[in-house]
Amino acid sequence: MGTTFLPIASLTTGVADRDGWMSVLPGFALGIPFGLMILSLYKKYPQKDLLQMTEILLGKWVSKIIGVLYILIVSYFGGLLLGQIGDIYESSIMPRTPIEMFYLGGLLLVLYLARSGIEVFTRFTEVVFPLVVIALVLNIGLSIPRIEQGELMPILGQGVAPIILAGFKVTPFVMEYILFFAGILPFLPTDKQEFTRLKKGVWLTVFLVGFVNTLVVLMQIVIFGPSETVNLVYGLLVLGKMVEVSRTISGVESLFLGAWFGALVIKICAFFFVVLWSLESLFRLKGTKSHLVIGMIFMGVALSNKRGPGLIVEIGLVDNYLIFPFASLWILTIWTFSHWKKKAGVS
Amino acid sequence: MDVFSLEEESGCLMKSSREKYMAGLMIICLFIILSISGCWGKREVEDLAPLMGIGFDLGKKPGTYLVTQQYAKTKKGGNSGAETEERTLGAEASSVREAFDIVSKAAYRTPFMGSLKVIVIGEDVAKAGGFNNMLDFAQRFAEFRRSMYLVIARGKAEDVLNLKLRSEQLPALYIRSIIEGGHDLSAFPMVRLGHYLTVLGTKSTAPILPVVEAVKDGEGIHYKAEKSDEAGEIRVEGAGVLNGDQLVDFLNDEETKGYMWLEDDVFNRLINTVDLKESTVKFSGQVLKSNTRYKVKTDGGNFGLTYQIRTSIAIDEVLGLERQLSGTDWVELVKEAEASFAEVIQKECESAIKKQRELGFDFLGIGRHIEQRNPKYWKNIKERWKQEVSDFPVSFDIKVTVHNTGMSSSSATNSEGEGQD
Repeated sequence: MGTTFLPIASLTTGVADRDGWMSVLPGFALGIPFGLMILSLYKKYPQKDLLQMTEILLGKWVSKIIGVLYILIVSYFGGLLLGQIGDIYESSIMPRTPIEMFYLGGLLLVLYLARSGIEVFTRFTEVVFPLVVIALVLNIGLSIPRIEQGELMPILGQGVAPIILAGFKVTPFVMEYILFFAGILPFLPTDKQEFTRLKKGVWLTVFLVGFVNTLVVLMQIVIFGPSETVNLVYGLLVLGKMVEVSRTISGVESLFLGAWFGALVIKICAFFFVVLWSLESLFRLKGTKSHLVIGMIFMGVALSNKRGPGLIVEIGLVDNYLIFPFASLWILTIWTFSHWKKKAGVS
Repeated sequence: MDVFSLEEESGCLMKSSREKYMAGLMIICLFIILSISGCWGKREVEDLAPLMGIGFDLGKKPGTYLVTQQYAKTKKGGNSGAETEERTLGAEASSVREAFDIVSKAAYRTPFMGSLKVIVIGEDVAKAGGFNNMLDFAQRFAEFRRSMYLVIARGKAEDVLNLKLRSEQLPALYIRSIIEGGHDLSAFPMVRLGHYLTVLGTKSTAPILPVVEAVKDGEGIHYKAEKSDEAGEIRVEGAGVLNGDQLVDFLNDEETKGYMWLEDDVFNRLINTVDLKESTVKFSGQVLKSNTRYKVKTDGGNFGLTYQIRTSIAIDEVLGLERQLSGTDWVELVKEAEASFAEVIQKECESAIKKQRELGFDFLGIGRHIEQRNPKYWKNIKERWKQEVSDFPVSFDIKVTVHNTGMSSSSATNSEGEGQD
């Protein structure tokens, strides 16, 4: 959720026009079968992450190739997200602060969380996530007076096809979460009762984030209209700028950006952990040096990448053409292979 | 024993290196927190010149614009810190950024755009078209907010912003106050930059902006002017219809009021039947509540739009009553008032429709209404909507309910043979 609510309105409305909001939940729901597939694999191979399962099912070399691809994609994407911290702060509220300071600030927080371990990281998310949701709900609620009459109508004016197509623009966001899920598996409980809770958790996560994102898209369409929703790079921030309470409170986008910073740190840190675990699983690399090397790679990607609309396009390309196909193919393949093995009775 | 102590020692070493690492990170984080909190982009409020209004006029050189910028300056010796005086500067440039660059060299402080309230588009720029280029800066540069108001000036925007108002207020803030008080009048549209851009995005609807003008003594309003040839008041009345960003024509007061009914934009309105020739008794009142809905009707293959207006009015004034009325007569008179008010509303709506047909531009958003109610039909006609807009059948179904008649059930009348008799 860390970054999805910023580009999601522009992406879905670009395809499904006024009906873009309807594509969010179905797009997110596509993540549920993948989440459940991972859990069913985890039931068979407890205490193993997806790379270790791949090694058991497909062999050492195939798992090494997939692992290297996994590390490359996640490192690059994590670096791009780090770049987005700088881009959004520089283009919206702090244009004169050197962009590198935002990268460094975000990265140091990520390093601190990564070094402190998964427990501290989850505690951090427990504190920040409600703040992000409250900031979003406040932003949406205070924008209600800016709603334009009739912008939502006609519903299904273009038919169902654009909604389905727009849903595919949303699915890569869930796949980012699935990639993290694939790595965090060994830290999850294995008893039956907890397993049922995990399954419910997958449904809850997808629907909670999907619902909040649906609201975000809906509000942007009814306030900006479809054409402007597509044009705006960070529509939600523009929405924050339009909030005005009794000529006294305005400029709440700065507060919102604070919460958003925390959300983005969570997302970057999740990818940081994924790279750490994968390096450990594949090459037995761990310790301070691996933290610093991953940090440098993230920083290098952020520094060398394009800024502004170029960065957004790059993130979209990685989402659509790397993360989505990679995650879906990988999970589908090993899940099918595991079932085939079970049916064929191959050990 | 030795192995145990070795393990303990290596554990201690690991722990101390981890502690050092964390302490190092903490120190760097603290340094970043202290240095990132606005030091680079920090600007003290006292060093900023809050921008209140911008005006766009055509420049003398082709391709240039005269950009007038009105800043607020705290009034020295004012009763409160909120009292301001104006500082208005203009520059001719081909882009707004360039104009700010020129003015900044003469400005007493760094311009701050986040406080901008009103953008005034001069009549010459509006007629020439192309002012969207000027607005690009306002919708792109992060300091601006899309909640600022857009108005068209009759005459030059520079003249409006340079007016010395009798109220001693800044013209930009004065315009903002009139617009924000507009709900009580519902006589002109309230257009923010965000709304203008949204309407522009619909393609089929022609944007509309309220018109602001300087008013001299005797031009509809009477006041004691300091100099007879100088305007000391500002008025927002009527609206300008745009084709994209080019002014096509102005709407008069009646046409604008018609637009407000059809847009369902009437909150409270003062309304009177003084101009109705048929009735001898005239009524004035205020709209308490109004609701406009529309239906796309089909009669065989013919489509048409029906506006359904439901309005609740309180009568404030009854003119021309010649005798004291009984309770039954009063009920009948109220019915007559309802019919008269409905007639006035219909007249205003018809004049707006007539203007739309004359211009051939859909500023009433009828195309969007058709799209909202019947997207299939809209798909068929949207390509030829510009030709259809002048002939598309529109009808009205207006019902007025008089909610109350004020504190008296009758009016003061002369005894027979007295007064006017």
